[in-house]
Order: sequence, then structure tokens, then C-alpha cells
Amino acid sequence: MVVLNFTLTPEAAAKVHDLLVCLGKFSDTVAIEARRDKFSFTALNSSKSAYAALSLDSKQFFTSYECIPSQGGSDGRFTCSMYTKALLSVFKGRLYDPSARFGSIDSCEVSVQDRADQTECRFIVKMICNQGIIKTYKLTYEATDVMHALFDRNVAKNKWSMHASAMKEYTEYFGAKTEMLDIFAGEDGRTVFKSYTEKISSGKEVLKHPLVTAVAVRVADFEDFNVQPGLHIVISVKDFKAIVSHADTLKTSLKAYYSQPTRPLQFSYGCDGLLCEFTLMTSGDSNAAATPAAAIQSPSRGNSRARSSTSDRPSNTTSRPEMPPPVEPASRRAPKRRLPGSRPVTEPRRPEPDADSLFVQQEEDDARWEPVDYNKEEETLGWDASADHAAPVYPTFTDSASLSRTESAESSEAIAPTQRVSQVSGGLW
Amino acid sequence: MRFKASIQNISTFTKLTASLNSLGPLAWLKLSDDQVCFTIIPEQGTQVWAVLSIDTIFETYTVQSAANNVINLEVPLASLNRALKSALNATSAHIRLTKKDNMPLLALTIVTTSSSNTYSAFPTTGTNNEDPFDQSPLEDFGVGVRETIITQEIPVRVLGPDTVAGLHEPQCREPDVHIILPPLLQLKSISDRFTKQALAGTKAGTASTASRTRLELAANMHGCLRIGVKTDAMSISSVWTDLSNPDLDPSQVHNGEIGIAEHPSTRMKQLGTADGRSEEGWAVVRIDGRDWGKVMSVGRLGGRVIACFCHEHALILYVYLPNETGEDESVLTYYVSSYSA
Repeated sequence: MVVLNFTLTPEAAAKVHDLLVCLGKFSDTVAIEARRDKFSFTALNSSKSAYAALSLDSKQFFTSYECIPSQGGSDGRFTCSMYTKALLSVFKGRLYDPSARFGSIDSCEVSVQDRADQTECRFIVKMICNQGIIKTYKLTYEATDVMHALFDRNVAKNKWSMHASAMKEYTEYFGAKTEMLDIFAGEDGRTVFKSYTEKISSGKEVLKHPLVTAVAVRVADFEDFNVQPGLHIVISVKDFKAIVSHADTLKTSLKAYYSQPTRPLQFSYGCDGLLCEFTLMTSGDSNAAATPAAAIQSPSRGNSRARSSTSDRPSNTTSRPEMPPPVEPASRRAPKRRLPGSRPVTEPRRPEPDADSLFVQQEEDDARWEPVDYNKEEETLGWDASADHAAPVYPTFTDSASLSRTESAESSEAIAPTQRVSQVSGGLW
Repeated sequence: MRFKASIQNISTFTKLTASLNSLGPLAWLKLSDDQVCFTIIPEQGTQVWAVLSIDTIFETYTVQSAANNVINLEVPLASLNRALKSALNATSAHIRLTKKDNMPLLALTIVTTSSSNTYSAFPTTGTNNEDPFDQSPLEDFGVGVRETIITQEIPVRVLGPDTVAGLHEPQCREPDVHIILPPLLQLKSISDRFTKQALAGTKAGTASTASRTRLELAANMHGCLRIGVKTDAMSISSVWTDLSNPDLDPSQVHNGEIGIAEHPSTRMKQLGTADGRSEEGWAVVRIDGRDWGKVMSVGRLGGRVIACFCHEHALILYVYLPNETGEDESVLTYYVSSYSA
């Protein structure tokens, strides 16, 4: 039997929403790991090229926090996994919005019902709203064994840090539909973030090729910059955008740590008891910039995976555990710098409107000039001709043969038209 | 083959590409010594032939090629528009034709500065100081500015002279009625509403919708414009009056004064009335409401629009872009053909 109860302020609940939105960009399911001193959300993407761990400090992040794992003593933990969407439907947006009349909450209480003497195991969230309304959500969860990707910052000689808001501004220049991001430390005092797509096309197809965007940032504009000049490292641009826009919600600095291409890279940021760490697979030509660190042989795969119970403070470990290298060496032999783990685009996500976006103002002004898309118009004049009302059915007709036929079959009171209006010769006029 | 220029009017260029992009994804861009031409010839729908004076969008403009210093390119408008949008806050923007891995592309280089204000723990030094040894944070405290260079690469195709030789601007007979259109935002919202009403109740994509969204546009030589839609269930129309029918310039008409006397519009002046109630004197075209909505997208450029009606045949719009000097006017010409009744 496990005891897990905690309470969140509206601000913290809103942060949970933001982090779930971010994790949702990596994986459909999110794993939860509760310990006595912290609570963490983790997600691993389907190609295992990106791993996210967001941990919430029991004292700083929560109003109250109690976790007594059923076993393992002080090192014990409770783990489970859930659908990110299910959690997001509970931790909706605008939980904390002083100006909103609806949707905001007073506090949020979470408990886990996981007892041998009860038939149902549930993750229970109570949203205490104003005027005494309490919304209780009971979510099912799945037992899971949470894995952690370990990252050794001692090996990651290259680091930089920059305010997430500035970085967000840079990502907004990137064209849509690009796949990869090359971070290049130039020798001319500038670092170039280049978003591009690796696709060979010819003829007319060339013109469908997405924009290649290079943003050259002065090294002096970084808060901290210590990267070997000439080093290229390639990651997925979607992952990067997801991380940067989440970091931007916290108005904090984004820190990057990496050694060399094909070795993992870690982004880290956090504030107020929330620590976010994303470990990403990288690609690129690892021979192009031979570093002293390049001599380090990667440890065997067996060592590279480690249960979190062994250690989750990777910076303290002397061994060099690594994130599991994803899909594997074919990519290194390949001459092209295709990111081995770049995920297949399953569902194109619409970019969320953002108040801080560079372009929104312009587009809003401009939108009225766009041709109307009549296929997805909501505002149409008409009436509901479907017959599934509980209310009494009044005779009605509609200029749609198939619809009215089913309607008349289901409700004997409705009279089907004998002829379509358009078939009346000469029309009404 | 060389082309490079600095963009002096990013906002106009961005709006232009957005308007053109609503009609078709690809444009034929013809760069020559004295003008820049954008042409969109979609598989169906309205054609646009835009002729811009160089200084409408560019300055310090250079174009060189073996073919009389003319360069013809095929440009994806969505990418160009997206790239230009990232230059809206730029301090400077340059465009040039270049090659990478043997693929031609237009490279747009944008310099932006934004304040680093409170983010950085240590303020950065001033913008134009390239000397790394000259950084003195104490002196520049609080006035940090981030300077960023953005390069957007737009893939293009170079078109040979023989490829474009077969492309000609449509020929059309003298119009029956010419009239200055009311503000396009007004016209667009009314025609969009009509199209929406005509579509109400139909399922998207069915064959019948195409004929339902026919707008009937008509004008006379007494300052009236009428727009209407008819379906089985309804007939709606709006009439504008007191619009202006500009006088023809004898120097622009074939045969001068005699040409004007014999011009169809002179005959149309004898017919109809200024209150728009008469059934006579209207030149009528039938156009697709959706296509018209795309054409109206040009309103964002804020130009003056003269519509020329060839009765039951075609509608030609001349969109004159506003410019300060009054010379070398830039004109976008839209050719909308009329459906038969």
C-alpha cells in the first residue's frame, strides 16, 4: 500500500499543465515517479532519441506533500504511467488566471488510491474551484518501471546558457516543417542555429523544399558560452522548439551541455522547485571536430541503462553512463547527417497561438484579407435537422435526400419531402 | 547571372507575396533592369500579372545575366512570404540569388536588433562593436542590445528564356464599363457573406457547390456596382452608387479621340441610370465566389482598384499600388474570366 497525497497552488497546477503540454510533444504517455523528497514526470519518445525528466521538489513546489512508498524504505518509490492527454484534460489551461471568471481554481489536491482492500486503483485529482465547487477526477493508471537516462556532465565539456525568451525569439524564425537543427559554434564570434530538412528532391519538387533558416547569434549575447569553436551538433528541431517554448513559460535560462556529435546532449532549466532535464540524441560528424573527449569510448549498452534507483544524480557518478544510443550505427556510417532518432511525423501539430510571438500581431491584422475557407466555417445559418432530440419532433424538411430519408425512418412524425427543391423546374424565381 | 538587392519596403513586399500566394503557390518572377514582374498563372482561376517599379520594394538593386540582364525565376510564394515575415522587425534586409550544392536559391539576409533588457545577468556591450577586447560592461550597463543575423534560404528554379517565351498576358477586347471599386474590405466582407449564404446547407466538396457560389458582378457607367448571388432558395444583391467611372485618356486609347467616341463605354454611358434601378446599361460577369475571395486578398496592399467589365466575358482589375513620387506606378493586373450563364 502506498500513500501519496499532495496539494498544489493554482500557480503550480498551471505549471503542471505547461509541463504536460511539453511532454505531450515527446510521448503519448507520461511516467510518474513519486519519492519521499520529490515527484517527477518522465517521458521517452517512441524512437528513444529524446528523454525528458521534470522533477518537482517536495518542499518547494507543493503546498503539502506526503509520499510513503510501500517498500524500499527511504529510497523507495511509487511509479506509474498515464496518458498525457488524460492528465491534460484534468490539468487544463488557465487553472491560474486571476482575470478569468471561469476555469481558475483555488487549489488542487491529488491522491493515489492504491490499496489491496479496494477494487479500484485510481489517481484522484480534486480541483477546488471558487464558490465551493469541487471537481473530482479519477484516472486509471498503469504500473510501470520508470527508466532514467543518465547523463554525465563531467564529460560534457561544451556548455552554453541563454535566456529562454531570447531563444524562443530565435526559434520563431525557423521555417515550418523543418526537421533538424544544427548548432554550430563559429570561429567569428557567432553561433549559428540552422534549421533545415535533409531531403533530396529534384525538378519541381525542389520548390516544395522547406526554408533553410540560419540564425547567427553573437556569443556575447549568451549568458555563458563555452563551446569548442567549429563544433557542429545536430538535434531535432521539433524537440528543441518544444523545450524552448516550455522553458519560456518559466522565464528562466536554458542551459545546454554536450560533448560531441553522436553523444547525448542535455538541456536543463528550472526554477521554484521545478527542474527540467531533457537528454537528446545528437547526430553530426563526430570526426569533424576531434576533441580530447573523443577518445573516451562509449560504455557498453548494458552499463548505459541504469535503473533510477541506482543513481539519478548523474553529475556525481564517476562512471560515464550514457543515454541509450538509439537506433544505432547505420546512422554513423551514413554520409548524410540524418538524425537517427528523428521521429516520423505522425500528427502535424498546429502551432499554438502565442501572445509573445513575433508574427501574431501582423497575422491578426492580416487575417481579414485571407480568402475565406468555406469548408471549415462554423458560422452558418441553418437549423439542426438531426432527429435525435429528446424534445418533441416537429415536422421538418431539409434539402438533402439521404438525410431526410433516415430521419423519416427513425421518426414517424417527420415528413420526408417528395422532391428536392432544386428539382422543381424553373426554381422558385 | 547575378541578382542582389536590399529590400527597402519589407512590409509591402510581405503583403504582396501574401496576396499573390492566395491565388497560387508558385510565381514567375522576372527581374530586369527597370522593373520587377510577378506573374501567377494557376491551373484554374484568376491570373495575376504584376509589374512593379524597382523602388517599390528594392533599393541598391543589381541584376546581370547573359540574356539582356533579365533573370526569370520560379519562386514558391509561401516560403518567400514566410521568409519575409521574419524580416518585419529587421534593421536591414538583403536578398540575393545564389547557389548551394548546385541548387539555386534566393538568400534573404536579415539583421535584427532586440534589447537584451533584463534577461542577462551581465549586460552585453553595444551593437556595432566587433572588437571583443573592447567590451566594458560597466560603461554600457543597462543598454545591452542583441544583434542577430538571420539567413533564410528560399529554393527557386531558374527558368530559361524559351520557357517563359510562351507565356503571354491575356488579350481582351475593350471593356464596356470601367469603374473604381469601393473599399475592398467592404466589398470582400459582403461577397464573402454572400458566398457563405449560398453555401449554407450544402455539404463541402459536392459537385453542386461550384455552381452555387457564382457571384454575379455588374457595373454601369453611372457609378453603380452591383453584386449578387442566386440559388434555389434565395436571391440577394447589394448595389453601390456614386462610385466613379474614370475618364479615358485619349493618349492611351487606340485612335485617340475617335477611339474614345467609338469606345464601348461611350455607348454604355447612354444607357442606365445613376440610381442603379434601371435594368439597362449593366455590364455583367459571373465569377466564382471563392476565387473572388482570393482576388480580394490584394486589398491588404491598400491600392486604388479600377475594374473593367467586358460584358459576359471577363473582369479585369487594375490595382495601383500607392507610391510617393507618382511616377513609375506599380500595377497588379488581375484577369478574372466570366462563366457563361
